[in-house]
Parts: sequence; C-alpha cells; structure tokens
Amino acid sequence: MFELPNLSISISIFLIVFGAYMLFYILYSLFNIYHLVKYGIYGFGLYVIVTVFTCGTILLVGGSFFLLAEYDWTTPITLEGASEYYNEDLFPAL
Amino acid sequence: MMRLNHLPNQRTDEHVILFMRRHWFAILTIVVAFLVLTGTPLALGWYYWESTVSSWMETPVLGPLIVIVGSIYFLSIWLFAFLEFTDYYLDTWIVTNERIINIEQEGLFHRTASELDLAAVQDTTAEIRGILQTVFTYGNVFVQTAGSKGRFHFKNIDNPENVKEQINQLVEEDKQRMSRLGAGGRKGKAKIVD
Repeated sequence: MFELPNLSISISIFLIVFGAYMLFYILYSLFNIYHLVKYGIYGFGLYVIVTVFTCGTILLVGGSFFLLAEYDWTTPITLEGASEYYNEDLFPAL
Repeated sequence: MMRLNHLPNQRTDEHVILFMRRHWFAILTIVVAFLVLTGTPLALGWYYWESTVSSWMETPVLGPLIVIVGSIYFLSIWLFAFLEFTDYYLDTWIVTNERIINIEQEGLFHRTASELDLAAVQDTTAEIRGILQTVFTYGNVFVQTAGSKGRFHFKNIDNPENVKEQINQLVEEDKQRMSRLGAGGRKGKAKIVD
C-alpha cells in the first residue's frame, strides 16, 4: 500500500508569512502617510485621519497577537497528521 | 503640506474662492464597501461559531492558520480603505480669483498638479447624470481652455451648476480686471506640472 513520506514542518512557518505581510503593510502605510502629510491640505483633519488609521492598525495588530499568543507554535505539520482529519473533525455539525 | 492661505506660486492679491473635493457620496462608497467586506466574514463567523468555527479554532494547525489569514484579510481591508480615502482626500480643485488649480492623485505613485489662468477659460460645462447625481446634487464640471491642453475635469463635485456659475462670474471679473490693466496685463496660459 502507498505510504506518505513523514515530512514535518513547524507551524511557525505561518509566522514568517505573517511577518513578511506585516513588513509590506508597514512600508505601504508609511508611504501613504508620507503622501498625506506632504501633499495634504494643512489642518486638524489631516492629523485626525493619520491618528485614526494608526489607532485602527494598532487595534488590529494587537488583537492578532493576542489571539496568536494562545497557540503552541512548535506543533509540527505532518502529512500523516493531515490525513487523520475527517469530515467529522472539521465539520462537527455533519 | 499645502496651506490654502499660501498657495504654490501665489500672486499678489490672489485669494481662494472655491476649495472642492469630490462629493461626500465618494466617502459613503468607501465606508459601505468597508462595512460589507468586514461585516460579512464576521457575521458568518458569529453564526457558525457554535457548530463549526469554534472547533476549527481549537485545532492546533487550522486555528493559527485561520487567525493569520483573518488578520491579513482585515488588515488588507483597513489598508485598502485608507488608500481609497487618501485618493479622495488628495484630489482637490482650487479656484482663486485669478486661476484654477487641479490636483489629482491616481494611486500612490501618480500625481498630477495643473493650473490654468482664468483668462484662458473658454467655456464651462456642468453635468449631472443619473438618479444618484440628481438626488444628491453632485456631478462634473468641465472647464474648456483656449489652448491645446484639453479641459479640466472636476469629478463628482457638490453642486456643479453653482460651481459653473461662480467660475463664469470669476472669468468675467478677471477679463474686466485685465482690460483695466491694459495691454501690459498677463496672457492666459495653462501649465501642467507633473
């Protein structure tokens, strides 16, 4: 019978993907804020916009880290493990 | 940062008459898109929480994957909304008693700033098209110039008819001022600065 090779990768690889996205997000946001500050019309509204965006970002990133901290990031992803999931595990209502 | 009381290349006795952005309906579109894109997955997650989602979140591999994909999704929506708002905020049209300044932001990497002397204005057209523009009284104004530079387009501004009237009035006043100044007055020109 065909046997799956026992490959194992830690789920912390997801964090690398998330880190790369965060780098893109920060660079793009900073560039956008620079645009607003350089070309925007001077006034209180400009500071409100930048503050609202920064606060929203802090809330979203903070919430993500709060949720991500609960998981064990040393858990390996194995092909054998993946084959052990059945519909009943993923869709208990079925 | 630009200040309305200190415009680029401001002339003596020049002052701002109209400062325009797109109609607030543009903001409403961004807000509605943001609410739909964030609200739909949140509502689905809440509805299926007991039956499915809570068990997914407890799975050691699927749980973190859902959190990371969700974070990337919501951060992307937030960034997209901010980019769209920046595009709205930086698109401005300024009419002074001497010229029209048109500043357009197209994405993050393309910005066009043009200016036009009122003396170069040949014709202005106001356009209100469709049910929404008629109900909320917004639309386009086209300012045709004498030169080959084409025309200025004020997109989706509030009360275009009124803006057109004000521009026509300012053009007339500018012509009278120019005739008082005599032959030594400045000539109309359209300048495009990219």
